[in-house]
Amino acid sequence: MNVSTSDAILLAHAGFGVTGCLAALWVFLEALNAQPGNAARARAAALVTAVSMAAAWICGGYWYVHFYPAEKALILTGPWPFAHNLVMETKEHLFLITGMLAFLLPVVTREKLYSNSAARKLVLSVAALIVITGLAVEGAGAVIEHGAKVALLRGGARGDRQ
Amino acid sequence: MNPATAPESSKLTAATSGFALAAAIAALFNTALAWARDAYAPLNGIMKSLAGNSWTAHCLADLVLFAGLGFLFTKTRAAEKMDPNRLTGALIGAVAIAALGLALWFAFV
Repeated sequence: MNVSTSDAILLAHAGFGVTGCLAALWVFLEALNAQPGNAARARAAALVTAVSMAAAWICGGYWYVHFYPAEKALILTGPWPFAHNLVMETKEHLFLITGMLAFLLPVVTREKLYSNSAARKLVLSVAALIVITGLAVEGAGAVIEHGAKVALLRGGARGDRQ
Repeated sequence: MNPATAPESSKLTAATSGFALAAAIAALFNTALAWARDAYAPLNGIMKSLAGNSWTAHCLADLVLFAGLGFLFTKTRAAEKMDPNRLTGALIGAVAIAALGLALWFAFV
């Protein structure tokens, strides 16, 4: 098995992102059933969301700055240039919103959710937005990687003929 | 008093409302900065000179704005005066507009 630093960082980025989405879903479910007994659990899940998204941000940012330029050049020469021009351009900015929402979640879960309907609605909304935008970003990552894959496959096929 | 039977409240603390409003503004700022960087190439050069990479500078600008406005609104209790349901609606609307704004810009512009 040959797992490069680039591979490990990219997989960690996606893994932390999924963990953050699942933790936000956990907060959503705790807020749906808000009681004094699960307040600490909701706060813990919110903290897991924020830490996971911060880790995804750092890993993704490092990979984007140091390893993506070569992949971008490959994608742009392949049959799916929109994987960069549309999908990556949107993803690299949309993720910043997901990250800020993840940092907001530990602040809003400090409210007494079991006796505050406004705070419950806000927590449900923030958690849902994190899950929705987070899953969109995860899906975008798959499209970008496929853009690189088809560029290599088609490029390889052209190379065989030459 | 038993917390489980405590009367329902519908007010948010200064920190919650302050950081929620800051997130809504930062989400819109994020999209506006992405548009500006894409439309005006020299801006990327300026941002690159500030942080080594224009995207890194974009991240830092978002985070500084979010944290700065969050602490400012908390201290001044500015967002606490907003109706909590309107604040939640504003946050959802801002994120939806910011996300759609990014996708449509890079799809068509």
